Amino acid sequence: MYDADAMFDADVIVIGSGGGGAVAAKELGEAGLKVLVLEAGPWYGNKQWANPNSERGGEWSSDYKDLDVGIYKKIFNAYENNMNDLVSGVFRFGPADRRRTPWHRVMRQKGEIWQLSGVGGTTQLYWSQSPRAFPLAVDNIWPISYRELVPYYEKAEATLPVQFAPTTPKEELFYYGAKKAGWPLIPTLNVTTPGYRPNPNAILPTNEHLMDQSYSLEQLSNMEGCTLKGNCVNGCTTGSSVDKIAKRSTLVSYVPLALKTGNVAIRPNSFVIKLLTAQDPKEGLRATGVQFRDTWTGEIGELTARTVVMAAGCIESPRLWLNSGLPYNEWVGRGLTNHCFDWVAGVFDEKDLMSIMGLPAVYPYVGHTSGARVDIPGTGIFQVSCLSPGLMSFLTYGFSEAGYDALNPPEPGAPWDIHGRVVGPQLKELMMNYSRTMSILILTDDETLYRNRVQIDPLLKDENGPIPIMHYTPSPKTLKRRDQLARYASETLKQAGARKIIRSDTPFGSMIHLESTMRMGYVTDTNCEAYQVRRLFIADNSVHFNGIGGPNPTLTTQALATRTAEKIVTKYFS
Amino acid sequence: MHPSAIYAATVDSHTFATFRALVEAIIPDSPVSATYSPELTAGAADLCIHEYMIWELDHSLSLVLGFGLTDIPLSCSTAGLLNVGAVHLAASRQLQHPPNPLLWESGPFSAMSRNDRISVLAMLEQGNIDPGVLPPPYRNDLGFTRYMIDFLNRQTMFGNYSEWSAYGTTRLRTPTERRLEYFPVSWKQAEYPGVVPGYRALLGYMLTIERKGGESTIV
Ligand SMILES: Cc1cc2nc3c(=O)[nH]c(=O)nc-3n(C[C@H](O)[C@H](O)[C@H](O)COP(=O)(O)OP(=O)(O)OC[C@H]3O[C@@H](n4cnc5c(N)ncnc54)[C@H](O)[C@@H]3O)c2cc1C
Ligand code: SF4
Repeated sequence: MYDADAMFDADVIVIGSGGGGAVAAKELGEAGLKVLVLEAGPWYGNKQWANPNSERGGEWSSDYKDLDVGIYKKIFNAYENNMNDLVSGVFRFGPADRRRTPWHRVMRQKGEIWQLSGVGGTTQLYWSQSPRAFPLAVDNIWPISYRELVPYYEKAEATLPVQFAPTTPKEELFYYGAKKAGWPLIPTLNVTTPGYRPNPNAILPTNEHLMDQSYSLEQLSNMEGCTLKGNCVNGCTTGSSVDKIAKRSTLVSYVPLALKTGNVAIRPNSFVIKLLTAQDPKEGLRATGVQFRDTWTGEIGELTARTVVMAAGCIESPRLWLNSGLPYNEWVGRGLTNHCFDWVAGVFDEKDLMSIMGLPAVYPYVGHTSGARVDIPGTGIFQVSCLSPGLMSFLTYGFSEAGYDALNPPEPGAPWDIHGRVVGPQLKELMMNYSRTMSILILTDDETLYRNRVQIDPLLKDENGPIPIMHYTPSPKTLKRRDQLARYASETLKQAGARKIIRSDTPFGSMIHLESTMRMGYVTDTNCEAYQVRRLFIADNSVHFNGIGGPNPTLTTQALATRTAEKIVTKYFS
Repeated sequence: MHPSAIYAATVDSHTFATFRALVEAIIPDSPVSATYSPELTAGAADLCIHEYMIWELDHSLSLVLGFGLTDIPLSCSTAGLLNVGAVHLAASRQLQHPPNPLLWESGPFSAMSRNDRISVLAMLEQGNIDPGVLPPPYRNDLGFTRYMIDFLNRQTMFGNYSEWSAYGTTRLRTPTERRLEYFPVSWKQAEYPGVVPGYRALLGYMLTIERKGGESTIV
């Protein structure tokens, strides 16, 4: 049945072109392997798809010259509802055709899963914080050491590239509060002690002419370098060409580099619905290819390859495993972590801001979406994070595990004045203070638990097969750390001069940093190759052993994907 | 009729009134500054956010039922959920204010005071109701009910404080065909300057990474 010498369509098929998949594709292409990438969502900024949300367009693109910054900027118009509406936005987890509904996941708790389809995956809207893992969360816990990861961190950081964030008013205010709260500056990429620092961000340095009035802002936005436009979350549009866009989603960093190798072809609008396997007389069960569905026509295609890299993200990678009938492994889909995030905001008075910074506002819409942080190994992180008003209103006031503040106000002595959702006249008043509000994202060192999981619904299906069911409840330890971080963040806001503190108590089901659903050591070996299916590798957030202590996860995925590409070449192609 | 009017006309009047009552309770038309101006007073109902919510709920789910993929509109059943909740809250004598008797028959949720509407949401969120009396797809599924109550709150805020209302006459078209017709009123309320190409706001760098020969140092 299976012929080991058969002709394959490619050396490697990569499933998904997001945070991890795009990196694997570029590294494998650079090593000289023939790579095909299948991506479920659209491709923004490519001549083959001039109207990617309303017409099918081409099938494949493998030419760097196909990239088109005009198409990219026309679609990424930075308006938050157009870009980030979960149901029908440019950014959503759904088919390219915006007339159609998004792809559904079953949630029986409050919250939302914030993931995107499309070339670049969720990095299209990520804020590009690119810190390394806390060594404390890796050493003697992961099956590989932190030191083993460092050269790959260096390579990914140089490729993106990663640089410390510039200071704008909100970072200045954050540093002022953090210093007064007693945190020391930690000038490092390897965080072993607590302290504050600018975020290492995958954003090009600020345009050197930004402060020079002889350049118009319009001109600057078509040149290389960040213009502090404050819209990282709604899709960065500053840059002279697709590969010089300031914020380094993989759509503008690794994907153009992959195309430049001449060895990589990417097919968007192609949802992989099944992994194909065969019994090899020597290797046992091995991956041989994929079956995929064209999201415009519904046609099913098959492609074969010598190796397959799964990088469909923390939900779709386990879903694909389960829907393909691969061997039972009790850890597939299990051990989900998500940093159990929370959100704390402070409202300032104009006169206080004048005396501290000589400015009347916090300007939450200026600068990198997030530019500075306090890292606390063993507990987590809090980072200043400010958004456009629609997103800010719902994250700060719309969304809570605690219900409505007015019906259930904070316990006496709590460091926050508001705990939970705010509605009615009070909401309008608070939103009137939007420009004087600084918000902070909290990322918790989240304990990895078997019960937190992605499963497959026994009854419900969409066009791509049985759909995922999500379940996540944090452990008491995680909740204790999260509460401690909310207190630290409130203290920094108070020290900075905030008059009113709001704690959202974000629903546990709100997921932005999903990790560890196909854990190394349980589902894969240390090369990220599945124990039970040879030649099947995993290169997305799901292969993390844990939540890396709280730091934003993508750089670690990118370092690992770089390493995995090297392992694939060594093991199967040298 | 332009497409948004056609779409709005397909929504039944109970659903419409229920969603209007919902968004009005979350973001009322209370003044936001001492100087009165209709623009600064506008609440979510003035910005038609109820239409946004109906559109969103009717375009958010499709599943394979029988042979093919089927769209499952959720606005009507969700309005039903709120009205069942309203009746339950009234029956348990927990209302702060008497409901409007003229509206009670046609739509209990919209007949209630704004505070009582929020109490209905809180009651459903906490699951203080017999799940068997809820309309499908919420029947016997308090988990999905909780998810939905949370969605109704945050999505109303996102709709209201984003640019959506400024799509004006094109607001209910397919998203790729919406066009901004003016500067969003809610952005004025929030003093957000809108989308601009950049800000001359650089105050310096606290630290910089320097790279040489595959290694980095920090200065
Ligand atoms: C608001 C927000 C802000 C964030 N900010 C940061 C940040 O600052 N720093 C950070 O480190 N992280 C951040 N993240 C998280 C970051 O986006 C993820 O860690 C990262 O994108 C994960 O990479 P991935 O490869 O696992 O998945 P993804 O990037 O989601 O990529 C998966 C890809 O696979 C495709 N796919 C899925 N199923 C299939 C299939 N069956 N067939 C074909 N293709 C498929 C998807 O369409 C998608 O393109 C943020 C996330 C959010 C939501
Ligand atoms: S601040 Fe963000 S959106 Fe703005 S130019 Fe810089 S990277 Fe792009």
